[in-house]
Amino acid sequence: MAVEAAQTVNRPYLCGDALVVDARGHATLMGGRCVDCGNETFPRTPVCASCMGENIAAAAMPGQGTLYAFSTVHVAAKKWKKPMRIGYVDLPNRARVFTHLEGENLAIGDEVEVALSVVGEDDEGPIESFVFKKVRA
Amino acid sequence: MSGVSVVGVGMIPFGKYPDKNIADLGWPAVKAAIKDAGIEAKRIRAVYSGTARGGAMVGQRIMGRLGLAGLPIVNVENACSSSSSALRQAVIAVESGAYDVVLVIGVEKLTKFGGGTLPLDEDDWEVRLGLSMPALYAMRAQRYMHDYGVKLEDVAAVSVKNRKNGALNPDAQMRKEVSVEEVLASRMIADPFTLLQCCPTGDGAAAIILASNAVAKQIRKDAIEIRGSHLTSGRFMSGFRDMTSPEITVRGAHEAFEEAGLGPQDIDVAEVHDAFSIAELLYYEAFGFCPRGEGAELLKSGATSIGGKIPINTSGGLIAKGHPVGATGAAQVVEIVRQLRGEAGPRQVEGAKVGMTHATGGGISGFDHGACSIHIFQR
Repeated sequence: MAVEAAQTVNRPYLCGDALVVDARGHATLMGGRCVDCGNETFPRTPVCASCMGENIAAAAMPGQGTLYAFSTVHVAAKKWKKPMRIGYVDLPNRARVFTHLEGENLAIGDEVEVALSVVGEDDEGPIESFVFKKVRA
Repeated sequence: MSGVSVVGVGMIPFGKYPDKNIADLGWPAVKAAIKDAGIEAKRIRAVYSGTARGGAMVGQRIMGRLGLAGLPIVNVENACSSSSSALRQAVIAVESGAYDVVLVIGVEKLTKFGGGTLPLDEDDWEVRLGLSMPALYAMRAQRYMHDYGVKLEDVAAVSVKNRKNGALNPDAQMRKEVSVEEVLASRMIADPFTLLQCCPTGDGAAAIILASNAVAKQIRKDAIEIRGSHLTSGRFMSGFRDMTSPEITVRGAHEAFEEAGLGPQDIDVAEVHDAFSIAELLYYEAFGFCPRGEGAELLKSGATSIGGKIPINTSGGLIAKGHPVGATGAAQVVEIVRQLRGEAGPRQVEGAKVGMTHATGGGISGFDHGACSIHIFQR
């Protein structure tokens, strides 16, 4: 469970401050919103690729999106849990997020939601990141 | 027209050369190109050398081996488009009148990484989270199959065709034909790609000698003119994008054709960037060889096989000839020049007059690809 993962791993998330997890283990992705032109991106960058503005506010991303494409990957660096399921999730604010996925029987077009999980392990221990998994019907 | 022609080409067979350093991979290709051009080495005025992972000063290392250093040497890194980007710079230099004869090198040694997927820069957001080139192309394939109802075996058929071509090419790394069953039964890498749908890890080098048209005529009768020379970068888009249509190649193709005053119907033979099986189908469509969603049908029709209307990747492409990334663009030119001169032996495209090369790559977040370079040649 995501909550357990949050309690057992004591190191920065793989994605740094792009992921915020509250005391109950609820995961939120933090992207950027350009104060000048309103462009929302994930991850947050220091400059806006739409207007070159540098006034970028942190913005919580929608927690649910649609699975655009995914693959089950068998050959990857040692640190990743394999097979590794990765994909792109399209959020309602038009941000596209590259993410690890959890769960079986995924299909393009599935509604998925963000969670916290362990996606691999290296010398320093388990590697935590955000993942997406199917929204429970 | 660019006013620039190819007067010499050379390459070493792509393969695994773990015991050779990059200078020793490179110099035989350069020597072969000089011999092919039939010129004295001192006629070369400048060198443009492309490598993606070869390190610093690779052009100098190679030219030093041959005792030919001491002239302007520019090293170019543009991922899979490194030597095709070097070619673009060389064309600009000759067009400008700065030099009348220049050398382009492409060289790479991937065996030094010991196998596995091509190492990417972990500074990149998606790479740090686990993205690799096979995974990226695999997602393109998944979405393409989903959108157009294309079957696994129709995508795998790209490997069958290109391995068949590679079997006819002494410079190819993979020289054995395979069946669609063998392709699908090989080890799973990134669903839907099995091993035989991925370009192999390997080493290689290729070289091209360019001359202004005026000088080229003095050098040889069958110089191959460069009709179009194009380089662009991908557009950064952090949001939604259609992964079944690579905007960088669609835009690059449009601009390259416009510059040459030609269209897809004018191309007799082409080398396109088939790093993974799906890529070739996407590029059929990006270049307008067929409408969107009909790539698999075009392949099935035999149109892109040797003897078809528009043979693609007669060399075996990246899947069979191999893909030592920085060497690929230059090696594509070697194949097209041989085809246009009628020197391609059993894989010769009869009567080929106009050929094209396309090298694109660079896996970075927010881009289809980092770079794309397209060249059009005419005899």
